[in-house]
Amino acid sequence: MNNLCLEIKEASKKFPGVLALDNADFKLKKGSIHALLGENGAGKSTLIKIITGLYKQDTGKLLINNVETSLNSPTEAQNRGISVVHQERNLIRRFSVGENLLLNDLPKNKFGLINYKLVFERSKEWLDLMDLNIDPRTVVSDLTVAKMQLCEIAKALSIKSRILLLDEPTSSLSPQETEHLFKVLQKIVREEDVSIVFVSHKLEEVFELCDQVTVLRDGKNACTSESINKLTRQNLVKLMIGREEQIIKSEKKVVSDQKTVLRLEKINTELGHHDINLTLGKGEIIGLYGLVGSGRTELAKCLLGLEKIVSGQIKINENEVRLDSPKTALDRFKIGYISEDRKKEGLILMHNVLENAGITIWSKIKSFLSFLSDKAIHAKVDPFIRELEVKTPSYSQLISNLSGGNQQKISVAKWLAAGTDILIIDEPTVGIDIKTKSYIHELIIGLAKKGTSIVLISSDMPEMISLADRVIVMKNFKIEGNEPNSHNYADMSSKIMAYIHD
Amino acid sequence: MKLLGGYSPQLLFYILNDLMFKKLPNFAVTNQFGLFLLVILFVLFFSFFTDGFSSRFNLFALSRVVAIDIMIGLAMMVVILTGGLNLSLGALGVSAAMFGGWLMEVVGIPIIPAMLLTLAMGGFLGWINGYVTVKTGVHSFIVTLATMSIYFGMMTLFTEAEAFRKLPETFTDFGSLKLFNKYVSPLLLVSIFFVFLLFYLFKFTDLGRKLIAAGANPDAAELSGISVGQMFIYCHILSGLLAAVAALMLTSRIGAAIPSMAGNLGFDWLLPAFLAPVLGGTLLSGGKVTVFGTMLGAVLVTLITNGLYLIEVGEFWIRFFLGIILLLAVLLDKAREFFAQKSNVLS
Repeated sequence: MNNLCLEIKEASKKFPGVLALDNADFKLKKGSIHALLGENGAGKSTLIKIITGLYKQDTGKLLINNVETSLNSPTEAQNRGISVVHQERNLIRRFSVGENLLLNDLPKNKFGLINYKLVFERSKEWLDLMDLNIDPRTVVSDLTVAKMQLCEIAKALSIKSRILLLDEPTSSLSPQETEHLFKVLQKIVREEDVSIVFVSHKLEEVFELCDQVTVLRDGKNACTSESINKLTRQNLVKLMIGREEQIIKSEKKVVSDQKTVLRLEKINTELGHHDINLTLGKGEIIGLYGLVGSGRTELAKCLLGLEKIVSGQIKINENEVRLDSPKTALDRFKIGYISEDRKKEGLILMHNVLENAGITIWSKIKSFLSFLSDKAIHAKVDPFIRELEVKTPSYSQLISNLSGGNQQKISVAKWLAAGTDILIIDEPTVGIDIKTKSYIHELIIGLAKKGTSIVLISSDMPEMISLADRVIVMKNFKIEGNEPNSHNYADMSSKIMAYIHD
Repeated sequence: MKLLGGYSPQLLFYILNDLMFKKLPNFAVTNQFGLFLLVILFVLFFSFFTDGFSSRFNLFALSRVVAIDIMIGLAMMVVILTGGLNLSLGALGVSAAMFGGWLMEVVGIPIIPAMLLTLAMGGFLGWINGYVTVKTGVHSFIVTLATMSIYFGMMTLFTEAEAFRKLPETFTDFGSLKLFNKYVSPLLLVSIFFVFLLFYLFKFTDLGRKLIAAGANPDAAELSGISVGQMFIYCHILSGLLAAVAALMLTSRIGAAIPSMAGNLGFDWLLPAFLAPVLGGTLLSGGKVTVFGTMLGAVLVTLITNGLYLIEVGEFWIRFFLGIILLLAVLLDKAREFFAQKSNVLS
């Protein structure tokens, strides 16, 4: 008899155009804290969604306490003792802590009304377990993010969850709060017979907290339930990215004759960016690196005029400008933005290829009485769609029917067609197959060679180091470091991590 | 899946098709064709089972009503495009038409400038709807519920609930003019003109494409350099304009501008306003317009209403049936969305 409380055997899950999980295995030992690692798009979230009943695997088995089970909904997973502690909080902000903790089973008095005395007594016990010294009568919205998270864990325990999934739980916590969280996690594993699946990009945390690790790469196991003691940091990175270094590299450019096209001086924004200074040369690729929530995408949105800039100057070609909308940015200053969220912000899924690829150039190519035919748009966008080798049966195909990689190509194509001088590219290869990924990398380098200045936002360290000329590290809405890229992975990654973890 | 992702009559058609175990050519399963088929079906039905449906008198009357219902449907369609709706449609239209009546009868300015000013008034009231919706971020349901009451109240206040009955004859004659061997009202030609105008707008212009893109995915449109707020305001202005046209046509048809011509608060217009675009295949969540579909939807609604009148089932039954049809159409709208999502589970 083994002591596995959760096991996944040879699970595969296919989505149109991409095999998200390919015979993946996962074994969670009772009383263990198990790290689940992998790059973006490696299949982690698909695996988690299978464990929590959101998806069903196409093939393969799911075993809970060695019994084969099928989970058809998150509720069912919860009833079987599996809970997710989300990054987004699942608490009702206007309710008290006590009400939230016991929400699924509030104690009632003999008249069927809620017995608040009992609610607060019982919830206090859970809070004590979490080493949380707060009054259960406190309204949730008055708590810090870290305390809310602990409340969520308490809530999960209160409904008798024995398997907890924590997805990037420390991304918005301070070091002290993280330490507290880890202590609590270790305590509940010890005392409450709980097992934890821990997903994080921060390898230091994994080594500090976890005892076992599973790494996914391209939907397959790079390692399965390996004991953490046997691995070094380098081993782990290699397992995650599959190789030491990426093949594609941008060439070092001669910096002296570079004209500055974009200059940010002492920018403060309403979102909390503080004293941002930045330059971008013609044909340069600068990389913005940082953790989720460090303010990179938000900075891009400020540049596009979607969020308010409180003070400071933006200069384009050394002239001070005001950017009040993406329209101004595009029409007057030729700035484009390729969104990280192509389904929500990049493309119009219910429209066809032609409509999506041409959206940025409609105004430019319309003729008398705003007349604009499909033919005119076709003529303009066709070269770019061809250049990108988009696989689509026709241009009247709906975007939603294309694969993720081809969708991303279209969202790039529309900005190529727009002919921008400055292109902000946000996480261009998330959830995209390796082939399209390297294709897009080549494309970005090619664009820069032709003189387009590029701001690359990416959480993918290898991508950053292979593409950027300079890497700018952001943390808490501030710029922490500005490092010319040496293209040496070990050297650069340790430098960058040093800025983040100092 | 693509077949099932179709629209109300299309779905019905698909089922029929399936029952007959044979494939039909592609054009036959388009939404518009399905609607067209239903229209034919009802025409045949009413011609056989009622007296006087196909009489010259009835067809002429029908064409006058259809003309106005088409305009009302289009006026609602352009706001549904934004994912919103315009409850003030009737109140707005009547207010504009009363303004026009006042201009013609009391101020005494010539017909053409008076009509243009009426349209301007409609556009202005629509602009208020759009401006408030966009600037406050409140859903257009609430905004237009409020302006419906405001417009109607102001109009009643200014007109003291009195009608303008001495309009220029040239204007009222147009509404009773009979064309094509006295079968068709010229009002219908006006509507068809607007149908083609809107078709041109949405199919062949930069502006039309932007309006649709803004409605389909505001975030993506904004980031692609489209001023979404402005586009939404344009849609509301257009809605106001079209509602004013509808009200002018109604005024011309009944020969007077009457405060209650669209019912209290303009309520009488709401049912046909929603029915035509929803039947026509316009998505309630926004981002898709079907100009010809809306026209056919309006024709179908008017046809059913007229036919039921002829069968003499009584006013209440007609309202009952129209309500049922709207519910069915909305359910099918939901089905459309469901199938649309089912067919793209890419994440």
